Amino acid sequence: MLLVTLYGKAQGKECFGLFTDRDLYTSGETMLLKAFAPSAVQGGILTVDLFNAKGEMIASVPLQISDNQADGFLSLNDTLSSGSYLLRVLTQTSVTQTVKELYILNRFTGVTESGISFRPAAAISTPDSIQPLFTVSGAEKNYKRREKAHLTIHFPADWMALTEGPLCLYVAQAIPEYNAQTFVLNHKPKFSSNAGNEGIIISGIATDPATSTPFKNGVITLSVPDSLPRFNYYTTGENGRFYFQLKDYHGRISLVLNGNDPTNYRPMKISLDKQENLLSSLPPFKTGIFPPELRKVAAKNVEALNFSKIFKQQQISVLPAKISKTDAYPFYGVPERVIYPKLFVDLSNFEEISRELLQGIKFRDNNHHPTFQILNAQRNSFFTEQPLVLLNGVPVRNLNDIKDLGSREIDRIEISQYERYFGNLRFSGVVAIYAPKFDFEGLKESDDLIKLSLDAVQPRAVFNPAPNDQAKEPDLRQVLLWQPILKPETTIGVDFQTSDIIGKFRVVISGKRRDGRLFFEEQSFEVN
Amino acid sequence: MRCKIWLVFTLFGLMASPRLAAQEVLPGEWNAQKIKGIRFLPDATYQGNPFLNDQFTSGEINLADGTKISGIQLKYNNYRDELIYYNNAVSTQIEVDKISVKSFVLTDDKGDKHFYRKQTVTGYLPGERYLEVLSEGEVTLLVHRKVLLLTCPVYGEVGKEKSMSYQEAFNYYLYNVKKGFELIKPAKNSLFSKLDPSDQLLLRKILRKNDLKITDEEHFVKAWNLVLSNKMAIHF
Repeated sequence: MLLVTLYGKAQGKECFGLFTDRDLYTSGETMLLKAFAPSAVQGGILTVDLFNAKGEMIASVPLQISDNQADGFLSLNDTLSSGSYLLRVLTQTSVTQTVKELYILNRFTGVTESGISFRPAAAISTPDSIQPLFTVSGAEKNYKRREKAHLTIHFPADWMALTEGPLCLYVAQAIPEYNAQTFVLNHKPKFSSNAGNEGIIISGIATDPATSTPFKNGVITLSVPDSLPRFNYYTTGENGRFYFQLKDYHGRISLVLNGNDPTNYRPMKISLDKQENLLSSLPPFKTGIFPPELRKVAAKNVEALNFSKIFKQQQISVLPAKISKTDAYPFYGVPERVIYPKLFVDLSNFEEISRELLQGIKFRDNNHHPTFQILNAQRNSFFTEQPLVLLNGVPVRNLNDIKDLGSREIDRIEISQYERYFGNLRFSGVVAIYAPKFDFEGLKESDDLIKLSLDAVQPRAVFNPAPNDQAKEPDLRQVLLWQPILKPETTIGVDFQTSDIIGKFRVVISGKRRDGRLFFEEQSFEVN
Repeated sequence: MRCKIWLVFTLFGLMASPRLAAQEVLPGEWNAQKIKGIRFLPDATYQGNPFLNDQFTSGEINLADGTKISGIQLKYNNYRDELIYYNNAVSTQIEVDKISVKSFVLTDDKGDKHFYRKQTVTGYLPGERYLEVLSEGEVTLLVHRKVLLLTCPVYGEVGKEKSMSYQEAFNYYLYNVKKGFELIKPAKNSLFSKLDPSDQLLLRKILRKNDLKITDEEHFVKAWNLVLSNKMAIHF
């Protein structure tokens, strides 16, 4: 029985704990994650980031914190090259970050020819003294392939009171030749307020493109295209900075950021803050030779993954993303009129739609210089300014983007002919066009328009049960059990079934004590 | 010595400056104000006032999505049953979308706060209305401060005036989740008719003891609160 207790504090500061199902992965696999947050971090989100050897961020996963813990997964892109990677966990305001070393093999190239990897020369984390915590009964040293196993973990009663939140239990392939290190680094948070942990922060700066000076009183809008679009805005101050916080968003979302000067119509350039490079805060690294035994295991893993891809075997099932809480009606108010152009005769472009179907709306395409005017229902005269034109919820500044939309492409047009206000923003009428087939790829990025896709809070995933032991398909699971939320009890029964993968496996149970100490314990066995 | 002190201060300053630059304090109002509405255009002028409060008063809006916005200038238009707020940033009077409002609070000239909430009134004059909560309990006493635009004599004390005037036509309601709404008049007989005979006697005694005569809304509310505090059964 190997038992290790990590003291989750760096220089007196309580830090994050980070556990993964394995340490060696193949590109195209899914990495399972478990993070324990410091006691001070009660809720909100934490992010798990994957960095390559150059310190560049490859992937980032925001996870919802619950009971000071979070769990999730990270899908490793097929194109990742073989080499050492670093997995980092932190919140946007935390002063420490926990980094775990990993090795990822490209499933097409395998281990690099030179066989050189690199490892941190010095770990900053301070392993605490080793004290036995659990006893395990019923565990065998050897199991056969596709054998059902049962073991019992006895949890000391006095530790029940000391343990904070649920435990994490998993049974996965073990590679003793590669012992990945976890270390704690100090982190300079970009934001100081605790409110920063409540959602994903998108920040950047608005500048004057001519002088590159910060743009004061510019309005930056953030739109999330949807059937009921979400919209937010920020008015820049002296420093030109803008911030948005995305709360209650789940799964992958597309965003459009738009900058404009509503008073003087000056041109503006908006740019997002660059992603952090981890390299500057990393300890020195040393290079090493990839051990031949590890090379063999790695080759087998690549083969197993390729076969599991052929048989479309998935170790987890992602549950549908939680439906974000939406407003009861759009940000531009309840439309006074809704037109469904499909119900009428086919009209080839928006000018025709405007002429035939949209009363009080004048859209004219004069030699590729379209103009848009809307009748003010309150004053019974046309607004002098252009109305807010939305395409699937995204403000459209260049009317050429909508002029070719015909009645077949448009699902509905919502119209408000009032001088509308959304906070401090004023709209001289609103025309919202919903064209489900419109591709936002066609929306051109410019100085004042940024399109981006990002992962909001990850939806939950469940670990798929073992296949039938009589199944004809090969069982190529490298992770036999993954229970990231396990209630601490004095006796915990563990049932799992071995797969067709032979080699060394380990049962790992990890958790966090109320004093901030992280602990994990593992029991090894072999499948022959 | 003075030179050394300055040197120390300068060194500390230089050491601190990169840290200050590295960490940003999130703006307090980074979730910009999002009250939705349309520009308020005043109606034609008639005799009287369509507003509950002639001037904008400090208030608070609770939006349906849970957002609370306080310290804003509010005005209630009784005639249109609409809430108007003054947006200082754009210097405009904005009629707040009724669908977005859950409740609001107005502060009167005396500094007293009046709580209004949006409710769907059933029965007489059905629809979504802003109702002032006069007394909250198992049975709630509410008032819809409606004004009507009615024709009136053109010749007044100061000569020829407008032919129409805004006239108060407040509706008082008793409300219970199970039983819904019922109109009530702010008068003694109306109040007594909702009580058991034994409680009527008791209330009479209590009103006499408190030297309370139900002559107006204020006294009616006081009497109603006495009914509630003495746990009398209300029938409606």
